[in-house]
Amino acid sequence: MKWLELLSVAGATLLSAVTVVVLYAFGVRLTAIAGDIRNSPASWTRPLAYTCFAVCGFAILFGLYLIIPYFHN
Amino acid sequence: MVALVISLALFFDFTNGFHDTANAMATPIATGAIKPKTAVALAAVLNLVGAFLSTEVAKTVSGGIIKEGADGVQITPDIIFAGLMGAILWNMITWLKGLPSSSSHALFGGLIGAAIAGIGIHSVNFESILQKVILPAVFAPVIAGGVAYLCTRLAYALTSRHDPETGDKLTQKRGGFRTGQVFTSSLVALAHGTNDAQKTMGIITLVLISAGTQPAGSGPQWWVITACALAIAVGTYAGGWRIIRTMGAGLTEVKPAQGFAAETSTASAILASSHLGFALSTTQVASGSVIGSGMGRRGTTVRWGMAGRIALGWLFTLPAAGIVGALTALLVQTGVAGVVIAAVAGTAAVAYMFVHSRKSHVGHNNAVQIEEVGQAVQFRKKKSAAKAIKNGSAKR
Repeated sequence: MKWLELLSVAGATLLSAVTVVVLYAFGVRLTAIAGDIRNSPASWTRPLAYTCFAVCGFAILFGLYLIIPYFHN
Repeated sequence: MVALVISLALFFDFTNGFHDTANAMATPIATGAIKPKTAVALAAVLNLVGAFLSTEVAKTVSGGIIKEGADGVQITPDIIFAGLMGAILWNMITWLKGLPSSSSHALFGGLIGAAIAGIGIHSVNFESILQKVILPAVFAPVIAGGVAYLCTRLAYALTSRHDPETGDKLTQKRGGFRTGQVFTSSLVALAHGTNDAQKTMGIITLVLISAGTQPAGSGPQWWVITACALAIAVGTYAGGWRIIRTMGAGLTEVKPAQGFAAETSTASAILASSHLGFALSTTQVASGSVIGSGMGRRGTTVRWGMAGRIALGWLFTLPAAGIVGALTALLVQTGVAGVVIAAVAGTAAVAYMFVHSRKSHVGHNNAVQIEEVGQAVQFRKKKSAAKAIKNGSAKR
């Protein structure tokens, strides 16, 4: 039985999904803060939000790298 | 016989496509991230592209579940024909019932049944069945569901906004998750194209090799690749709306942040499983993610009755497809008349189910009811809103 493989699949799934979701959630939250009208938000919120989304974008690109066999053969 | 097997394989590819549209596109459709018709079109295009990206086909039909090869048994086109028949009929039945179920497991079931009836019980590798079908069916939903549960919890915790002084809920502004959904679901659709179209290419190529029209060990021919890619894309575009309804609304109500968490878990699990050597079924991963995300969001419930029906469907996948496969294999053994009877009966069964499905039509327009939150409550952009406030105070 390939228990080790199963375990590593579970671990990799957990790690990658949590990373992407946490980053994206931060992005969404920071965008929301940056969009607040009342207590004017700090100037760094919006750039930081975009950085979060950009890192998620890299995760998507890594996904593409994994999907397309041309890149890793 | 070869022509018959190829057309059947292409039809299986078609059912595979429309059965699995839901895996990628049910949640973005349910949250309104993508319009239903656009979603299936996007999935179809990505499946088409995916099919061309990966044409390195399998060396064996069953991936080791049947002891084939040099020191094993010879899988004849007859056996493949019978196996495909079992898989297709099971796919049609589960579609009619709106149950997401794994197309590859249906194919395995059909082939096992056909091999037992046509060759004998010694041809089946039972340890391989345990490892490739039964264990994944248990662990795929558990892994994906657990991860999706955690991700949903995190996504909501991180984006919940309260006024620091009064503790009142502020506008949560979670609509941004919709944009993310487009990307994650596209990734799932592309991965599906590279995996599943390839299976059919493998079958057709192996049949052509066994018929002697193509040298052994050679890759799929261009017309095989094109036909398989088109079949899966058309199937995806046809959209198994019944299954989309189940996955998008039947199991639980899906909201953007939750849908994003579910899809990220699905995409991660699929990519991890295909690169770390433990194959998991896309359908089972996706169903698990939706259930897990439903458990993770407060104020929603998972309809466990529906989840139970799906689990029951998975339990029956192997035996049911196997029985049809076995019966077809027995018929085919009797000679040409048997093949004709099997082909006619199979076509009649598919046609009957299609006609039956027309009685209660489920299409892109009524698959999932979407609350158009985005249109009902429009938030003004920061600048224009600030201007409005300024103007208001100036007038006063």
